[in-house]
Amino acid sequence: MKLRFWGVRGSYPVPGLTTQRYGGNTSCVEVRCASPNDPTAPRIILDAGTGLRRLGKEMMLGPFCEGKGEAHLLVSHTHWDHIQGLPFFAPIYRPGNKFHVHARQRDDMHLRMVFALQSDNPYFPVPFDAAAASVQFHELTDDAKFEIGPVKVRCTRLNHPWIAIAFRLDYEGTSVAYVTDTAPFRDVLLEHEFIRQPPKPGDPLHPEDAAKLAAMREGVVRLCEGAQLVIYDTQFTPSEYIQRPHWGHSCAEDAIEIAREAGAETLMLYHHSPDRTDAQLDDLLGQHREQLHRDGIPLDLHAAFEGMEVDLSPHGLHVGQASSRSMGQGHKGQPGPSEEISWK
Amino acid sequence: MEVTFHGVRGSIPAPGPETLRFGGNTCCVSIRSASGVLLVLDMGTGIISLGKQLLSTEFGKGRGHGGILLSHAHWDHIQGFPFFAPVFIPGNRFSVFGPAKSAAMLENILEGQVNPHFSPLQTMKNLGASFDLVPVPIDNDPPPIVWRGIEVSGRPNPHGPSTCMAYRIEENGRSVVYAPDAGYPDTGPTEEVLRLYQGADLLIHDATYTPEDRTIRRSRGYSSFADAAYAAIRAQVRRLALFHFDQDYSDDAVDGIYARCRDLLDSLGGRHIELVESREGSSVLL
Repeated sequence: MKLRFWGVRGSYPVPGLTTQRYGGNTSCVEVRCASPNDPTAPRIILDAGTGLRRLGKEMMLGPFCEGKGEAHLLVSHTHWDHIQGLPFFAPIYRPGNKFHVHARQRDDMHLRMVFALQSDNPYFPVPFDAAAASVQFHELTDDAKFEIGPVKVRCTRLNHPWIAIAFRLDYEGTSVAYVTDTAPFRDVLLEHEFIRQPPKPGDPLHPEDAAKLAAMREGVVRLCEGAQLVIYDTQFTPSEYIQRPHWGHSCAEDAIEIAREAGAETLMLYHHSPDRTDAQLDDLLGQHREQLHRDGIPLDLHAAFEGMEVDLSPHGLHVGQASSRSMGQGHKGQPGPSEEISWK
Repeated sequence: MEVTFHGVRGSIPAPGPETLRFGGNTCCVSIRSASGVLLVLDMGTGIISLGKQLLSTEFGKGRGHGGILLSHAHWDHIQGFPFFAPVFIPGNRFSVFGPAKSAAMLENILEGQVNPHFSPLQTMKNLGASFDLVPVPIDNDPPPIVWRGIEVSGRPNPHGPSTCMAYRIEENGRSVVYAPDAGYPDTGPTEEVLRLYQGADLLIHDATYTPEDRTIRRSRGYSSFADAAYAAIRAQVRRLALFHFDQDYSDDAVDGIYARCRDLLDSLGGRHIELVESREGSSVLL
């Protein structure tokens, strides 16, 4: 399994000098499963933030340009930063391409309607139904299990307003868990209700809420169990979390605790705060690596950046960097071939 | 009057090393009037950095009163709203003017941004600030809005299958025209629209494309820098700022657009028109 990060930010895209190295695009990770024995193995994309736009341009250099591509989009939830790249994803405007959107069923409307709303008048000039590719929606339950060709997918529920789910992919002895967005499972249960006053971390919970959170935490630990790589929402620092425990995001400390308990090999800090500068992310990563080293904990820790590639084999995992050219950068501003058809 | 650019990109924010100089944020321009009143033109992601700056002013104490003028409701003109820090502070007040048939319609448009499927805010009612919503009729001759010593006139421009309002903002004889997302027919802007632009101290005009790229993307309803130059000359404006650059244009490409626009202005008899670089964070004092 090979992963490439196209967007690593939470909340909203942040262009600018201070976010240049880690990147300013919102959540999107590409997963390729093709092995030498199985070149037709499916393409999977985790979340559709603004990173998806660039990935789409890259995809249009291959079979998706001829309308012969097929890909599966696994969406953690429908907050803007996880879907806002879809209207700018060139391959969905090319007839012949096939897409499958897998996301948790909504509690009050069909999934397709939620996605269509994003492209509706007066917000976007091209209605979702104008996408010429076939787009099939697969509504998932919290603990869904399904297969995409040879890839086994499992889900579990997360602690996030309006509810998100995590995914685990297993393929030929390699495994990745994608856990975003979620708050830790101790201070507040996040469902459909709007929480006006942030609870005080440490205050006792209603027993029913406590039981639900404990079950949710257990589900996440089991999902991450023995995974080679866990990608985890670490938007907050502990002092930010104390002010906003009801926003539905975790700290690196929470991710480390879950990854250790699950016996995961590598942890990827992900869904960085839009306010976190490159220098702050360097520091955060350095401090936690040092702490793990001091404590003698054999957890390999990384912080996701745009263009990062992770190569997983049953024997281990290698982290590298894609060339800027293959990320669709460095061109002289001439729109790619995909652009012409995309908004017609 | 001071005009500041906070986001000059069209369609979708474009982070990356190739957009660092002009910036990758979507549409937002602020005007600070001579009397100190704040009027914000559109709420693309550029409004987020403006919001952070405003926290050190009366808006940080919940005593701010600002105006927001929306050209239309496409994402790149409203997507910064749920992340604009002053709206979370109780006591702040915003008068929002935008093209709609009624205040209820304008409210629905903004509510769609913070709908619980898409945003943890769930509804505008959860924001701390209060909002007066004022619909701007999409007519060719809407009455001017007079708001806290500023006069605003609007005219619709065609924008692909929809329309986008262009606005002229005047105070004490100084004038700024904001004309994003303008997809003129071959005949150019209408007489009414040219009258709106006429003699402006600053015209901020859509220049999404090069003329070559525009010819193959006409249905999207945007201008090229040449359309902006023709409009500036016909309306005899003093300064022209290009705006709403395509998300795929690098800083070098935008430099090229400015250079070609200068040449075109000069060759058409517009040597006296000052071309203002619309980099994120830059200001023009009128």
